[in-house]
Amino acid sequence: MATTIATISLASSDLTSSALAFSSSNPLNTAGTATGLSLTSGLSRTNFTNDPIQEKVIFRSDDAATNGSNKVYLKNLSTTPAEYFTVFIDQEEMGRLYAGDWAFFPWTATSGVKETFTVTLTLGSGAVEIGDSWEFDGIKTTSTTAVLNTFASEINAQHYPNWTTTVSGAAISFTARRAVEDGVITGDTAITGDVLVDLNGSNLTAPITAGDTNPSTRSESDIIIVPSVTTTMDLEHMLFHE
Amino acid sequence: MATTTASLTLTSTDLFDDSLSISNTSTLYKAGTTIGLDQTTGLTRTYVTATTQFDPFPVVKGATNADENGRVYIANLSEEITEFITVSIGDAVIGRLYAGDFLWMPWSPKLQHVNDLEITPSVATGMHIEFMAIHNYANIYPDSADS
Repeated sequence: MATTIATISLASSDLTSSALAFSSSNPLNTAGTATGLSLTSGLSRTNFTNDPIQEKVIFRSDDAATNGSNKVYLKNLSTTPAEYFTVFIDQEEMGRLYAGDWAFFPWTATSGVKETFTVTLTLGSGAVEIGDSWEFDGIKTTSTTAVLNTFASEINAQHYPNWTTTVSGAAISFTARRAVEDGVITGDTAITGDVLVDLNGSNLTAPITAGDTNPSTRSESDIIIVPSVTTTMDLEHMLFHE
Repeated sequence: MATTTASLTLTSTDLFDDSLSISNTSTLYKAGTTIGLDQTTGLTRTYVTATTQFDPFPVVKGATNADENGRVYIANLSEEITEFITVSIGDAVIGRLYAGDFLWMPWSPKLQHVNDLEITPSVATGMHIEFMAIHNYANIYPDSADS
């Protein structure tokens, strides 16, 4: 376990008639324990230069434990007083970080439900033809074998930009990398965007055999940052998480 | 105008192979200026004995604060490591402050109940909580008539 200490100090000699000076320190521990947080995004610096202004998702809920004792650090590196970042948690505006301002706050990281489905390669007759193919998520797999389960393994061995996979026999299970509201399943047996090529008329199909009863939902606590100007602004950010 | 500084240090000798040492100090200015924030709720320490959600900085009914700016400090003073407070804003949960944890964040209150900050203790057995806003809001505590 790691030991990370966060210390805040507030000081003013003239905000109130008596001086303000206090300091508080605390180790960053996992939820409900005395075990230190050991995972972090590292200290990152992100540039915002877009015309028109574009928001960026700085931290996605999928990347941290829901209801964990996660902590977010943000700093606006601008030196122009009027420039600010607006910090949102999902659709809710938290506030503005003006030039030089920093923030440090807990993050519940409430994730949505990732879409899952299973495609099972099925033969109506004969065998898979070498050269048969199945394409999904922009990735085309061409069979190098006549063995159905081996073709399924070849599909599973690909690296999909938006999905992770596992295989069991001729069944390949897909899990979305991100929780989003609208998935690709359009019905009990159809997915959007797949292309199957059956060269020899063996009636090779790739129906969905599971997953339609598990609708996806989007994450509702992503940290979103919006700059105030189209000229260059830099944000420093770091996530400590479970 | 007042000069108030907020500093944060984050240190660790074993989170990475190399040491972590982040240190920041910022002066608290009014939105878009170099004029210091000149209002504060003061540092409040309260003892809560219910799991009922409450507003640490209630916004006056009918008030608007859209372009105003401030910073908020909230700390859970409990020493029982499983006890936490849940901090929310509007319809969103920000996160949980476990025993000893604190937060420091900007806050731009708008209409009452639109993006109010809320605190919900996890237990009813008694917890000490500290909170303070340093701001230029026109319409929050202590003149509140929050409902």
